[in-house]
Amino acid sequence: MLDYAMSLRMGGGTCVRVLKFLIPATVVPQEAVVRAVSWLCVGKIAISTQVLFLRWVLTVFDMIDSKDHLRAIYGFIFSFVTEENLSPYICHLLYLLTRRESVRPFRVRKLLDLQTKMGRQPFLLHLLSLYKVFYPELVTLALPSRMRSGFKNHNSTWKVALSAVQKRNKVQVSSDISLTLRLKDKTNSRKRKLNHLELPSLSSSIQSNSSSSRSRKVFSLEQLHSFPQLLDNLHCIELPSQMGSLLGSSLALCYLDYVQDDSAFLRLNFWLGHALHEEFLFCSGDGGSGSSSEALHFLNRLLSTQHFLQEGFSSTEGFLYKFLNVWDGSLLRPQILGLLSDIPVVPSSCISQLLFEPLMQLFFTSTLFFKCSVIDCLNNMLLEWLTWHSVYALEDGLDISLNSHTPMNMTLSGFMDSVMELVRFVGRLATVGLQLEGCHCLLLSFILDFYETVCDMFLKYGLPLVVMPPAGVFYPALFATDPVSVDRLSYIMYRYKKNLTSAKCQQQETKQAFHISRQTCQEFNHYLLFMVSCLWNSKMFLPGMAIEVDQELLALSKVPEPWTSFDLIHHPAFLGCALDFHHKCWPERKDIDFNSIKAAKQWNWYMEFLFSQGFQGLQQFVQSSINRRSVAGISGQRGSQPTSR
Amino acid sequence: MEERNSTEETPRNNALAQRRSKSYRQSMRSCVEATHLAYTSGLLTALRIPRSRKAPKSCDITKQVDPDQVALLVKKEWQLSYVTPLYQFRHTQLKSYSKQLSAFIVSEKQQGLAIEVGQELGFKVNFSVVLGLAETDKDAETVFIQILSKQAFSAKDDAQKVVWSGWLTCVNGDLDYLRSLPLEFVSLPLFCTRGPESLTVLVKSWFEKTFDCCFGPLGINSTNLQWLASLWTGCHPTINIQYLKLVWTLPTLPPMDVTYTVHPQDAWELWDSMRQVDTTEDSISIDEVTGFIKGLQSHFFRHFRIDLSAGSLMQISTALGSSHHSGKIKIASPNYIPTILQLLTECALLKMPI
Repeated sequence: MLDYAMSLRMGGGTCVRVLKFLIPATVVPQEAVVRAVSWLCVGKIAISTQVLFLRWVLTVFDMIDSKDHLRAIYGFIFSFVTEENLSPYICHLLYLLTRRESVRPFRVRKLLDLQTKMGRQPFLLHLLSLYKVFYPELVTLALPSRMRSGFKNHNSTWKVALSAVQKRNKVQVSSDISLTLRLKDKTNSRKRKLNHLELPSLSSSIQSNSSSSRSRKVFSLEQLHSFPQLLDNLHCIELPSQMGSLLGSSLALCYLDYVQDDSAFLRLNFWLGHALHEEFLFCSGDGGSGSSSEALHFLNRLLSTQHFLQEGFSSTEGFLYKFLNVWDGSLLRPQILGLLSDIPVVPSSCISQLLFEPLMQLFFTSTLFFKCSVIDCLNNMLLEWLTWHSVYALEDGLDISLNSHTPMNMTLSGFMDSVMELVRFVGRLATVGLQLEGCHCLLLSFILDFYETVCDMFLKYGLPLVVMPPAGVFYPALFATDPVSVDRLSYIMYRYKKNLTSAKCQQQETKQAFHISRQTCQEFNHYLLFMVSCLWNSKMFLPGMAIEVDQELLALSKVPEPWTSFDLIHHPAFLGCALDFHHKCWPERKDIDFNSIKAAKQWNWYMEFLFSQGFQGLQQFVQSSINRRSVAGISGQRGSQPTSR
Repeated sequence: MEERNSTEETPRNNALAQRRSKSYRQSMRSCVEATHLAYTSGLLTALRIPRSRKAPKSCDITKQVDPDQVALLVKKEWQLSYVTPLYQFRHTQLKSYSKQLSAFIVSEKQQGLAIEVGQELGFKVNFSVVLGLAETDKDAETVFIQILSKQAFSAKDDAQKVVWSGWLTCVNGDLDYLRSLPLEFVSLPLFCTRGPESLTVLVKSWFEKTFDCCFGPLGINSTNLQWLASLWTGCHPTINIQYLKLVWTLPTLPPMDVTYTVHPQDAWELWDSMRQVDTTEDSISIDEVTGFIKGLQSHFFRHFRIDLSAGSLMQISTALGSSHHSGKIKIASPNYIPTILQLLTECALLKMPI
């Protein structure tokens, strides 16, 4: 039909009408288009008809089945560029067809001559900027910010008709063919004088266009629009001229994950380090505009990039060590602590000076919420280190250089030293923090989060290390006034027991040296004994226990039977539950007699009741550590000795 | 300032007693601002602020460097910046860089117009190498850039005039650091410019786009200004410095500027008296420098009851050159170029993020 129309067999008017009605149902065979172009070359068709034809081609461009023949006649199409009326459409068509091979110096020159004749036309500029992507050393240009991106859309009515036909035939609607160029996104905020936080725009590197690389097909990142495209061209993508631009899009980040080139990462680290230093450490010019929203956006973007790549950049690490020394603890706190938890494993020789000293200074002079945030941050850091270890560790030597970009060699024992240092440090922080804040339950909750990570280091992450919480954490948790803390502590003790027993078993089986000393076991036994005798056996404050209080002092307090005051009935955390249970059991009783709960049947019911309240940790602890002999009718002592080594 | 007696009576004991606490504070500050552990390609490179320097020797630099090129560098005031290492910068491709930079400048000045790289344009750029300034074999050769342009309303045949010039250099840079960089990177950390700010911005952005480097302002802090003052004063026997002028800014309301000009002979005698403490001839330590400045300050205090150490040193100048806190430097005599550039290169390297 196209041939028929273009050959003007029936005269110009009919041609126009036929063209207007040509809506393809499925695909347009490229041969038809090629033939039509050949009719164009003959020169008999009126200009307006030619324009119409070109507009038609642009409308149905996505439906042309394959474009190689069209590309083969690129030169012919190019020759039409000088016609004034046809120029915009020809440029648009060329834009869609251009490949690296099509860009030739003489074509560039012709377009530039056209520019001098026609002035600054946006369609010329767009085509030339595409040429610039392929060969930046031939032409350079700067697109003004106010220019509209993309070519003018002439074909809206046609497109509407096209999509209607396609919908009828249930064909997938073609996408908008006017490709938009990716301009640098101008932030609407006031223009900063020092724009080191602005991500550079993607541009292809001039360097790589040496004669050697011209032969192989190279795909520039600027043309990347979809993930399948990335996968197809993975082997021949060239790195952009400014590595910092890769942080701008998630597609580019996928590619960054794949890159192994050290120089590329060094470039990225230089740019990133420079931006961070200028903004936060050197504070020149603007006078420390740290609270601005651009800094916030930048750090958020950096955080999400690091989480996507699942490791931190080395320049972030270096920056943080310097920044911690001057940080006031409140500027962009969530972001800084988030970045801190992404730091890879620090060797134990310098961890104290680099990380612990500044954190200690900040910790002890800060608010409760900051303390909680720091404990949370260190917990995340530990989690990341443990995860990293469980994924990448080899038998005896840990070779970090494969996967992170700080090729420091670290052995297993070095790693364990660092972990040990970190856990001990948090223990010290927690002890003093709890004292300073009066055992605040929020802080206690974060600390118990940390120890939930620590207690499972062996079973969950395969690290043969068991570290007990210090006394300054254990006892405040045990005597806490909210039941959740006691429950969590019980869960932690239960997990410790599991880890220790399985470590002992493995040690006996494989005869490998584990870092579990007698002292650790002793500590554990000590804690366990105390906990059971306090909660279960109602033996508190008696001589020989960990906490001894003078009997006279106890007498002064006028508390009856002080040794029972922290068992599962009288403990301040569980007193409410005991009361509830008492009411349920003996609703008619007016006087509360807690000792009656201690009868055998009621005691079991009470335990069931407690477990049903959601105290899973307590349940697991009781089931694992306490052998319950049911002794009928004896009040006071319940249960038997807990199993211990 | 005439009185020589008072300069000799400068109480040095006081200076000693105060020095311990002040140096602690200085080292804390330097721990923050400059001394750091730099992770560079896996090596831990610690760049430390030097506590002693070699005494500047007068050298006839025209033996190493072309005198015309030396003339380009001296007697002009330069604004300083630091640059991170340049990726794939090749000294052999300077012609191509010239063409690209001139096309870039023209296209940026005329937004929306595409420019062919290589055609004759209103701006012409010259890249050239200044051989001989590099001291060690790890230093890259200095690169000098000039932008020429026809003046407005000039006749057709008038030659183009230099409207902007700048140079990238590295003199006696820290060897450990330079060795730790991979081969594709060229470190030329010091960037000196002179000319309209708009052109400076364009040149910097072209470098950033082409070589993936980052620019930042380089200031000269008061310690380094004191070093410069001492080094120049120490050159007095060889070449007459004619005056030693120091400018302080005091934090009063409104801020007060104090310009303190010292007779060169007095300054030199004070400096010499400081130097007798040290036995080795060749090196100057930071203590001597601080002692020298303290001497000047206490002399001023004796006469005007104003303690200059409460303010900050902003500018120093002698006949050999001048230097300002905001990062401006002027070298008047070609004989001491290597020493000055070495000090400035150190300042630039200390600003490197990694």
